[in-house]
Amino acid sequence: MSEPAVLDVKDVSIRYGRRAVLDSVSFSVSKGSVYAMLGRNGAGKSSLVRALLGVQRPEKGRITTFGLSAWDDRVAVMARIGFVPEEADVEKQMSVGQLIDFQRAIYSRWDESVINRRLERLAIGRRRSFKTLSKGESRQVLFTLALATQPDLLILDDPTLGLDAVSRKEFYDEFLGELAERRTTTFITTHDLSGVEGIADRIGILGDGRLLLDEELESVKGRFRKIRRVAGAAPASGNLLHATRWGEWVEEVVDDFDSGQTDHAEATPMSLEEIFLAMVGQEEKR
Amino acid sequence: MLQIDTADSVPIWKQIEEEVRRLIALGGFPPGTAVPSVRELAQRLRINPATVAKAYQRLTDAGVLTVRRGEGTFVSDDPVIPSAQDRDEALASGARRYAAVTTTVGASEREAVAALRDALAEMKPRRSHR
Repeated sequence: MSEPAVLDVKDVSIRYGRRAVLDSVSFSVSKGSVYAMLGRNGAGKSSLVRALLGVQRPEKGRITTFGLSAWDDRVAVMARIGFVPEEADVEKQMSVGQLIDFQRAIYSRWDESVINRRLERLAIGRRRSFKTLSKGESRQVLFTLALATQPDLLILDDPTLGLDAVSRKEFYDEFLGELAERRTTTFITTHDLSGVEGIADRIGILGDGRLLLDEELESVKGRFRKIRRVAGAAPASGNLLHATRWGEWVEEVVDDFDSGQTDHAEATPMSLEEIFLAMVGQEEKR
Repeated sequence: MLQIDTADSVPIWKQIEEEVRRLIALGGFPPGTAVPSVRELAQRLRINPATVAKAYQRLTDAGVLTVRRGEGTFVSDDPVIPSAQDRDEALASGARRYAAVTTTVGASEREAVAALRDALAEMKPRRSHR
């Protein structure tokens, strides 16, 4: 892509004591794109997010955001990032309005109309205290605050975790509305693989601190296939990730499918979740 | 109404493009009808608005849709029928999918053709709505 990278992570390693939580991770997020980082719990996503926000200094490597260092230029970088944390770090007694006043004072590009429009749409009053908000509402308020800063980069840390189906739909509606309006560059970590399947331009898969995959989703979808064939037939010629025997049938997962290799076999595309399981499962067997 | 499968390996913009053409061909979107806005369709299908915009752009370039500034996007007065090559490709790829199903269930060629003929017969009443 010719668009310049908004976020560029180069060779980043982080360790806690002797344990490496991130091991030489490199990827970049181009302007106007959505990057989804996937990984099991403990794969290193939270450490990565902390490093992107400049609160965790990488032991090795560098993170460049808007051409600035995430660590050395933290204040300048953070002024242009809209961050939605997994868990709200807000005093429970505080009202929505108080938090808005607090944030408005910090950010120079604050747009109050974003707040008015969204709070009205979400039917959340400014006088409500955080303790009376549901998980979904609280996440929406934090998301609204992040959008009001007119960010150049959105960082969403597992934004749908713990939300019911309705709150999840509301979150995606708001998020897609923002993308339609401003094409905001977004870095999102998530467990909701089917949720981001139609939204992410590029995906990364973290496994045990290493980046197992960093690729355009369209190209990933093009090369992974489940191939079903009768056990006696010639095996698939691709790079075999794993095979399952099922009666007289063999199901194989290959990651370099090309359509010429499917004589006498049935090849079906794989969902992001299936691809994730195939990759992470393969990695853990090593 | 407009259906896509985000788990499929066919790029989503391409699925939208084909779906819009299909719905127009079935008579569901007469010339001059407004199509959903990019934002609305993205939210409904839970896909990236840029993907919808790409599909609409291609359909506009192909003369199927027309953008009226400030009003929205509409089915062209004379939506262009897909090119012979596009049509052949769509037919061949659909046939391959169906062939895979017939192999899976172990149907004979005669059974496969009969089932296809039945399916075509079921479509007929809808076609006459044009």
